[in-house]
This record gives sequence, structure tokens and C-alpha cells, in this order.
Amino acid sequence: MDLILQLLFTGIGIGAVYALVALGFVLIFRATNVVNFAQGEFSMVAAFLMVVFAVDLQWPYWLSFLLAIGGMAALGALFNLGVYYPLRHRTYLPVIISTIGASIFLANTTLALYGPQPQVLPPVFETQGFLVGPVYLDTQYLLIIAVTAVLVAFQYWFFEHTLIGKKLQATSQDKEMAALLGIPVAGMIMLTFVYSAVLGGIAGILVAPVLFVSIQMGATIALKAFAATIIGGFGDVTGAIIGGLALGIIETFGAAYISVPYKDAFAFIVLVAFLALRPQGIFGERIAEKA
Amino acid sequence: MALLEIRDLTVRYGEIEAVRGISFSVEAGEVVTLLGSNGAGKSTTLKTISGLVKPAGGEVLFEGRSLLGLKPEEIVRRGVAHVPEGRRVFPGLTVRENIMLGASNRKGLSTRQIKDEAEGMFELFPDIRRFGDALGWTLSGGQLQMVALARGLMAKPRILLLDEPSLGLAPVIVQAVFAIIAEVRRRGTTVLLVEQNARMGLSVADRGYVLETGQLVLSGAPQDLWANDDIRAAYLGGRAKAEALAH
Repeated sequence: MDLILQLLFTGIGIGAVYALVALGFVLIFRATNVVNFAQGEFSMVAAFLMVVFAVDLQWPYWLSFLLAIGGMAALGALFNLGVYYPLRHRTYLPVIISTIGASIFLANTTLALYGPQPQVLPPVFETQGFLVGPVYLDTQYLLIIAVTAVLVAFQYWFFEHTLIGKKLQATSQDKEMAALLGIPVAGMIMLTFVYSAVLGGIAGILVAPVLFVSIQMGATIALKAFAATIIGGFGDVTGAIIGGLALGIIETFGAAYISVPYKDAFAFIVLVAFLALRPQGIFGERIAEKA
Repeated sequence: MALLEIRDLTVRYGEIEAVRGISFSVEAGEVVTLLGSNGAGKSTTLKTISGLVKPAGGEVLFEGRSLLGLKPEEIVRRGVAHVPEGRRVFPGLTVRENIMLGASNRKGLSTRQIKDEAEGMFELFPDIRRFGDALGWTLSGGQLQMVALARGLMAKPRILLLDEPSLGLAPVIVQAVFAIIAEVRRRGTTVLLVEQNARMGLSVADRGYVLETGQLVLSGAPQDLWANDDIRAAYLGGRAKAEALAH
């Protein structure tokens, strides 16, 4: 029982990271009808920005964090202008290829600047963790869970209770009609890219102290997050969160009870199972009704 | 000066000329109906006015200024609201939210004001009041048309472009929709209406035009058009059919 609680805590922690990246996928997909294959690279770039500011330059953690997030907002805006906007009237295929190109570009630019050695980002808190009853609570995992909960709550409030959130939803549901009502569609899509880059960035910064900061971390996180969106029901915000958490828990339990070397495989076994048995995902029917 | 003036408008989709040099005007306070069968170019004309389609030639003047080259967002901010064919109510938003977003073209309104105005719309559309919190996709065609009209009116337009409001609705619902259009007109909003349903389209109109394969073939007062054999032909679904009937 103790081990189960312990694994559940760790699983939710890592699942929260997948959920944040998955949210970025879903938001951009709903706004542009295209999967952004560079979503994982947003996490990777933000983690490297943190290494530059907090480790290399020795700036305070909070300042480094704000600068890294500011950098991600700027990257999101540039990404929209350079990768999506010129192709917005084309079909999905050129846009997808464009995001794959951007993903390769970001990874290799980082490689050229920083070399292939994985970097280490220290955790936010000096205390590594503490025991609550039989369960050891790692402070970094606690932070990940808390920040994710706050972001999810913020996003719910923003989309459901503000007019601009409604305009974003309207834009993602019918761009032409949104334009006819006077909603600035290009501005709404810009906002989506900026927010998704910031979400991916926060996920990367949060998970960096748990993993190594490496060029490959983006691809690993993105693949898991992508699997999470499919498990949850593609295009569904709640589904992305549930899918991310479920995946984190499944792979943590799989590693503990079945096999550690196959840890990364569990996510994809579940993905294949869902694609075969329930391709619409957990929350898929809601989308079918919306379409 | 006419509120809206269309001069020699030509629109092409690739090789196909959907609208071939049409000219007409709408005066402030009027309801003008464009009649014609499927593919006559009615919707294309409206889409060109609201900026969704770029014309190959001609001019669109609103209050004496050209609308050509402006984005749809900019055109609706000038006071031209387009309620397109198929209602296009946002399926994942509630009825109230859909109506509130109709005010997106107006600057300097607080969310509170917009909410109050949206509530006020239910006076004009009592049938959809009880669906205020229902999502768009759950509504029937007639209810969706009411939401689309309410949303269009939230723009406080100088002119309202209505594309086939009767399409796919049961006769009794069509009556209700046109009663509202008559009320909108009574309140002083200028309307450019596009219809296949000539009887209803002309019932609320000051003037009418008949469009056939991209060209204007007739214009005049509703009673004159109604008396004309050609309009009965259009009403029945095109000249060819009428000629077949005549022989």
C-alpha cells in the first residue's frame, strides 16, 4: 500500500508534465487544425534558457524563470509569424512539415550552441523532500503538481469566464465566422501560440531538475504528451489533462511492477491499445458531437 | 447617396464566373431582397460585401467609401454585419455566449454591458430565452437561425446582410423568422436579404432584384416582381424549369 501511494505520487508528478505539454498540443490544434510537432522543443529550449540564466550566469532562480518564460513568449510569437502564419491558407500538410522543420531547427541550433552534453538544472528548493507518513514527497514533484493545478485552474477560468477566452474558443471552432463578427482572428491565433509556448516552457523548466537537460528531452516529452492527447481524446482539453496524468501513472507503475528498461514503452503500448480499441479516446464522443 | 452601392461587381472562382458585372444599391432604412435559385450568385455577392471573397472587378461602396481590400473584421467594424448561410452558430459555445460575441465589432463595451444587451435580445427572441445556457450544437435549425439573427443584431449594424434565413426550416418557423425580420426593419435597421423563397423574401421587402446565373435580370417593387412570370419561374427553381412548364 505504501509503495502504491508512493508510485501514485511520482506518477501524477510526471503525468502533470505530460499534461502541460499535451495542453499546448490541444490548444494549437484547436486554433489551427494542425499538430505542432515542435511543441516538445518548446520545453527543451526553455530548460536550456534556465541553464543559461540560473547555472551559467548564476542569476537568481526567480529572475531566470521570468526571463525564460519571457523568452518562450517571444519564441511562440516568432514561431507563429515564421512557421504558421505564411502557410495559414494552405492545407494541414505544409504546416505540419513546417513545424517538423522548426523542431529540427530548434534542436540543432541548441546543439550547435551548447554541444551534446546533457546539462543539470538544480531543483528550486534546497530541501529534497520529506516524509508524510510512509510516503516520501519530493519537493520538485510537489512543485510540478502544484504549478500544473494552478495553470489548469487558470486556463479553466480564462476560457470559461472571460470574453477573450470565448473569442479564442470561437476562433478555434469557426475562424471565418469569428472574423465576420469582428474577432481579430490573427491576434487570437498569435495569443494561442504564445500561450502554448509558455505552457510547454513551464513544463520543461519544471521537469528539468528531474531529468537531464538535453537536446532529446523535447522529443521524449512530446511523444508522451502526444500519446496522452490521443488517450484523452484528441482536441479535448480535459482529455489532455486526464490522458497526461493517466500516462504518468501507468508508466510509473509499469516500471515498478513489470520492468524498468521498458518504462518508456508502456506509454506506447497503451497508445497502441487505445488506437486499436477506442481510437476516439476517453473523451472522444464529446468532440464527435461538437463537429 | 445610397448606404450600400454595388457597381459592376464581378467575382470568379477559378475559371467560373459566379457574379458577372452586377450593379445595385440599398438606401438607408430599406429592406432589399436578392432573389434567385441555387448557384445564381446571391451568397457570393454577400460574401464579397463582407470581405470573405475578393472580387475580380467592380466596386463595393458603403457610406460612399470602398470596402474592397478590407478584412472581414474591419468591414463589420464599419457597421456591415453578415449572417451567413447555414447560421454558423459556434457549436461549443452556449446560446448566450454566441449572442454576446456578436458585439465583438464594437469598441469600449464592458462585459457587463454586453451581457445586459444579450439578455435584452431575448425580448425580441423569446423562443430561445430558455436555451440561454444550452450549447450551440444542441439546437434545432429554427432556434439556430434565431441565435444567428440575435448575434447579427448585437453588432448594432448599419446594414444587416441575411443569407437564406428560411433555408431548411419548417413553414411555421419560416413565418416566425420573417416576423422578426419585419420587426428588425420596423426598428430601423437596413437589411439586404438573400432568398430562394420569393414569397417570404418579397413579403418584407421595399424593393427586390432577381439574380440569374450571376446577372441581374429584373428589379422592382415587390408587387411588380410578384406579378411577373419570371419571378414565378425563379420561385419554382429557375427559368429552365419555368420554360419547361410553359411548353
